[in-house]
Amino acid sequence: MDLLLDNLDLVMFLVLVCLGYTAGSWAEKKHYRSIEAREKELLSLAVVTAEGSFPKNNVAQAVLVTGSAVVSIDYFKRLLAILRNIFGGRVKSYESLVDRARREAILRMKTAAQEQGAGMIVNLRLETAAIGRNANQKKQIGSVEAIAYGTAIRFNRV
Amino acid sequence: MKFTPKQLSGNVNVSRTHPLVELFWLLAGIVMLGGLFIFALGFTTDWAARKAPLSIEKWIGRQTLKQFPGEDNPALSQRLQALLTTASSEERLQRYPFRILVLDRDDVNALALPGGTIVIFSGLLDEITSENELMMVIGHELGHFAQRDHLRGLGRGLGIAIATTMIFGQDSGFSDLVAKAVLPIQAGYSQQQERAADRFALDLLARHYGHCGGATDFFVRHATTSGPQIAYLLASHPHPQARIDDLNRIIASKHYALLAPQPLGEDLRHRQSDPPASPTH
Amino acid sequence: MILTNVSTVPGKTIVEHFGIVQGSTVRAKHVGRDLMAGLKNLVGGELKGYTELLQDAREEATQRMAEQAQQFGANAVVNIRFATSSVAQGAAELFAYGTAVRVE
Repeated sequence: MDLLLDNLDLVMFLVLVCLGYTAGSWAEKKHYRSIEAREKELLSLAVVTAEGSFPKNNVAQAVLVTGSAVVSIDYFKRLLAILRNIFGGRVKSYESLVDRARREAILRMKTAAQEQGAGMIVNLRLETAAIGRNANQKKQIGSVEAIAYGTAIRFNRV
Repeated sequence: MKFTPKQLSGNVNVSRTHPLVELFWLLAGIVMLGGLFIFALGFTTDWAARKAPLSIEKWIGRQTLKQFPGEDNPALSQRLQALLTTASSEERLQRYPFRILVLDRDDVNALALPGGTIVIFSGLLDEITSENELMMVIGHELGHFAQRDHLRGLGRGLGIAIATTMIFGQDSGFSDLVAKAVLPIQAGYSQQQERAADRFALDLLARHYGHCGGATDFFVRHATTSGPQIAYLLASHPHPQARIDDLNRIIASKHYALLAPQPLGEDLRHRQSDPPASPTH
Repeated sequence: MILTNVSTVPGKTIVEHFGIVQGSTVRAKHVGRDLMAGLKNLVGGELKGYTELLQDAREEATQRMAEQAQQFGANAVVNIRFATSSVAQGAAELFAYGTAVRVE
């Protein structure tokens, strides 16, 4: 017991790592299921990175639509990233973080476009930014923001 | 242009490796790197401790001596000289200008400082019961000098601290964590040194008196009050009982005689009239 | 005000250019949100507070850009681009820029 109390910070650390692992992987699985389900739903809404050109009388309205999501990494994956920093190479634990954030942002943008009654989104642009980090301090990235934006086109009913 | 909606299956942007598997490989890599590093560090500091000129050691000694302002004690110096005469065949001890100081502190402890200074705390001196026991203590510290432990321990601690700071940054919790992880290795190494110093002292005692009576007296007094052996897993010194067992094993294997120890000389006995301080170590 | 991020306004013709317009805002979240985000940082997952904050801020930046365009007498901004950068602990700059035009 004394040994446990003497190393309280070590015990805390291990608890946080375990908590981070279980909660983090559960949340990630859940998020991916939700992403895949919504992607299927919104599949018919076309999104392109090209500008496209449309006949003048065909387009009823062109609106800017955006979607964004800030996703944070869990304690366990951050530990993996710190360890990976020593050896270099692929930081696998951050891959799913940015992937989730980006797909979520696109989905939110598509949802916004659908509410406008859009038939297509052109000129999709994606950006990623690190959030919650001091600019002058060397600290681990805690979370990323992904933004998706494009122009939603509502066509005239033929 | 025709638009055909397609749903992706699988995810090429995310690696399939299970995070726990990755953790395992990363940890394995770190343990290997750390092991290599500690090995190399031990090798280089041992080498440096052998090669370090005495002037540097004396300088370090002067710096550390400031923390232990002890007084010269003629009675102890005389015994130290007697032991040194016995140990004159020890080449490694010849280079030191030895001094022995008594520091008025209740702790039951003695130190070997770089540069050849031995500091004995009055708490230890007060509870010593025989000449042989005192010689065992001095011999133990001489053992540290003979093995140059006082420099080797210093170099290792410093090297590990510098390396963790370089990799993880100064006050990241990670450095503390690594320090904790390395502690058992460091403790094991330090305990090994203590045992070696004990053996050195035992041999010296046997040569000086012709027998080893009183060699374990000091540890016997502390064995019962020192708590369970498991608590000494991370300590710098072995458990007193372990040291007793170790010494007895050598006494048996080398067929050292065990005669009654000589009582403490008159010149030191006046200290014993004071009630002995309770041991804190 | 019509906003698009393509170089034209689909369905309309650009008749006049007014040059670039920009809008930006720096926002910080309050302590409560910070605390929640710190907690979320342990278990991972979406930081809803941050998402909302940044979404609000981006709308404000877009609004400011549109105001500039209005001053020029434009009725549309084309080729809009967004950018985000964290300038200090917990504070983020949201930035929007585009070309102010008049369309018919």
